[in-house]
Amino acid sequence: MTARTINLNVNGEHKEWSVAENDLLLTELREREGLTGAKYGCGIGECGACTVLVDGQPSLSCLVLAQSVDGCDVLTIEGLARGGELDPLQIAFLDQAAVQCGFCTPGMVLMGRALLNEIPDPTEKDVREFLKGNLCRCTGYSSIVRAILTHRR
Amino acid sequence: MVPEQQQLHSIGQATWRRDGQAKVTGAEEYVSDITLPRMWHARVLRSPYAHARIVHVDTSYAEALGAVCLTHADIPKIRYNERIVSTPPHLYRDRYVLADKARHVGEAIAAVAAPTEAAAEQALRALRVEYEVLETITDPEVAMWDGTEPIYTNVQLGDQELSIEHNIAVQRTIELGDIEHGFANSAVILEREFATSRIYHAQMETKGVVCRPESDGGITVWPTAQSIHNVRQLLGEIYSLPLHKINVKRVPIGGTFGSSIQMNSVIPICVGLTLKSGKTIKLVTTREEDMYDHVRYPSRIRLKLGATKDGLLTAGHMHALSDIGAHNTQAFAFLSVLSGWWASLYKLPAMKFEGKAVYTNKTPSCAMQGFGNPQATFAVESLMDDLADALGIDPVEFRLRNYVGLGGTFWGQGPSVQSIVLSDGVPELLEKGMEKIGWPGRPVSGSQTGRYRRGIGMARGFHTSGAGAPKPGEVIDYSGAFIKVNEDGTVDVVHALMDHGGGTLDAIAKIVAEELGIPSDRIGISPADTLTTVYDVVTHATRGVYAGGGAAHKAARKVKAILLDYASRVLGIETNALVIEPDETLGQGVIYCPSFPERRITVGALAKLCQTNSWGSIAAVESLRQVNCPPAYVAYFVEVEVDTETGSVRTVRAVIGSDCGTVVNPDLAVGQLEGGLSKGLGYALVEDNSWEQESGRLLSKGFWVDGKTPAMSESPLLEDIDTFFADSYEPSGPFGAKGIGEAATNPCAAAYGNALYNALGIRFTELPITPERIVASMVAAESGATKAVLV
Repeated sequence: MTARTINLNVNGEHKEWSVAENDLLLTELREREGLTGAKYGCGIGECGACTVLVDGQPSLSCLVLAQSVDGCDVLTIEGLARGGELDPLQIAFLDQAAVQCGFCTPGMVLMGRALLNEIPDPTEKDVREFLKGNLCRCTGYSSIVRAILTHRR
Repeated sequence: MVPEQQQLHSIGQATWRRDGQAKVTGAEEYVSDITLPRMWHARVLRSPYAHARIVHVDTSYAEALGAVCLTHADIPKIRYNERIVSTPPHLYRDRYVLADKARHVGEAIAAVAAPTEAAAEQALRALRVEYEVLETITDPEVAMWDGTEPIYTNVQLGDQELSIEHNIAVQRTIELGDIEHGFANSAVILEREFATSRIYHAQMETKGVVCRPESDGGITVWPTAQSIHNVRQLLGEIYSLPLHKINVKRVPIGGTFGSSIQMNSVIPICVGLTLKSGKTIKLVTTREEDMYDHVRYPSRIRLKLGATKDGLLTAGHMHALSDIGAHNTQAFAFLSVLSGWWASLYKLPAMKFEGKAVYTNKTPSCAMQGFGNPQATFAVESLMDDLADALGIDPVEFRLRNYVGLGGTFWGQGPSVQSIVLSDGVPELLEKGMEKIGWPGRPVSGSQTGRYRRGIGMARGFHTSGAGAPKPGEVIDYSGAFIKVNEDGTVDVVHALMDHGGGTLDAIAKIVAEELGIPSDRIGISPADTLTTVYDVVTHATRGVYAGGGAAHKAARKVKAILLDYASRVLGIETNALVIEPDETLGQGVIYCPSFPERRITVGALAKLCQTNSWGSIAAVESLRQVNCPPAYVAYFVEVEVDTETGSVRTVRAVIGSDCGTVVNPDLAVGQLEGGLSKGLGYALVEDNSWEQESGRLLSKGFWVDGKTPAMSESPLLEDIDTFFADSYEPSGPFGAKGIGEAATNPCAAAYGNALYNALGIRFTELPITPERIVASMVAAESGATKAVLV
């Protein structure tokens, strides 16, 4: 495997990584940077637990080759709260009890954030369509939808 | 009814869950997130064959790569049952840490550990295994035929050898009263056969474990588990380690739904690798491995019920067959609870249960939310609707005449766990449910024409709250808590209980806060491990709040008595005249006498005084076996719309009412009901697994969503779900609380089946009721078959 040096920003910090062709973004974030908020749920893009934002767009980091994020801005769940201040959407998740086991939560919050960045005033259908690739087995999704919609208001 | 004097300051308040901030910021550490110094990684070699003798395992190539290898030859030859919730004489032991024979695709045959995951994967591929492939048995009926290859010749029951004939793992017959007499006195008798599917738990986190060797010869283990103490006891038994040298840590769990009620199969494998290599080792399974690890018990249930013309049940006869797959994890208990849930739904003057659990070469069956209850309730509640129809009685009225309520006998975990019902919100649940769904306006079943047809159906049920009962049974139910008061008036609660995400530990904190008169944000839940906590059996059977919380309540009462005793000394007031109440300004509890309010001391000041004066610690440890197992009742009313051309089913409205006694965490309790609906409608309409008959492989080939776990876009809209709680108080529970979690899903599939019957006039008896099945049955019905078609 050919290793290559890439430059990127992770949660606002510059990083220089030497990565092989088959290294995955999820593995690099978790093992190199210790950013374990992005989870391995399935490894094949079915569950959304590994979601991070790459240049503001949701990405399934278990399917993204690390070399492909050269020059990109990567935001993980650890980078969403700034200076110890929770993002309003994180607060909405807590207010609406949209967190149970919590394993899907980082992916759900980042998807919600990406949606709100794109559509500040989404309908319930928008939310359900945008987040349909993120599985949750605990909540039945209602509280998560409520969190994203109440944040809107 | 809630006692009028019960004024609560913490219980019933919606608060941010205490692990919430860690979970929304990504800081929460699950097993797969743990990294330790000098940590190696492990991978497991799994059988590609469903049924095969292992002739030889060659580890030389893998070892040449520097890997440490573990095979059947390395592990202690101790057979065990992964789930030690049943008492020892009722444990069927049929497995080793690594298999002596492959009995299902995905069975663990050998394992390797290496300094990196990539090196471990390389070593895994260097293992050579010679198999002698045997006949694959995927059908439980075929499994019982004469001449079918035995999957086991013998297993161990307790400490006795038990020979296995015709692949039947266990059989149970339970008979009460004279059913022949009962049926002879019936005006109507109905009998139908029902089938429920082997769905996957689909918890978000796959199984993992980290094991570190300690310099004294002991080990520290971070597992995915529902019970840290049971994991420790089993590891001690398998590896002959003294328990004080095994420390099992409580680690947050990414969903479980029963899938970790047993000690997960990777835990002793990882421990074996650590003991052999002296290395710290991490082992995390892939999703595909996890899908070959556990499924819900399927069932084929033949149910016969009789009733008088006045609508009173006379007798029932149930035959049940379950395909348990390759291991008997809890088949004895499964048959027990199937009979028990059935016996507790409706009063039956006579009943006979005949159950069989059969081995096949498939993924092992395992407890899943409701343990036998969704299966039994689907059959019983479907047939109850048909009986009501045959008798011309309203289905809700028919249920009210027959249900087991206040003063009745409830089987909380099969025939050996019984107690008397002390709280009953069923009439309120049914009355409000009917009102909310618009019950009187529902159509006549099967009367509609046109492409889109609507129907309203209901089903009721429950789950137990724990597995406690007045006398010892076949199931262990025991919890303990240690509580201490700190010098600033805060409190540490040390409890081994697992919280699966439902907020159980938040409930424990509120119960302790309530008893001690201290604000709940001053109650801390300590990290837990087996060295520093007393025994808690396992979070299962919807026992967390009722039984785990009961133990915490008992310890809190003792702590309160100590507090008041010392306060009496300081304040010069009789103990019985003192109260503790939270003081919002001070942010802690204050002890005072209402008649002399100036005589007061904060809990913190008292604790400090006790320390400086060397009076003693304000702390207590208590354990509790609840002697009741109260039913947490639930009622579902659903309205569906069926597209008869595509067979798709839309939930127009779902009303879910719960009698969980006092509601401790109101928002999380709603979350339990909404989550119960999601898993329940998945079970009712879409979720299933299929195994290839020849190879014994999953047809989904490890693709999770083929399963098919409902997605957000497939779930009912917010305005179409209505949840509510009965005004109920359980006298034996902490502050009147009982359970909720598993109850939330149990009657759901039957409610959908009954709503579909109302819409289409077709009785569906097999789950899931997929669009394909609906369309096929519509075609059959319209091609001249009878009005009521059985599918």
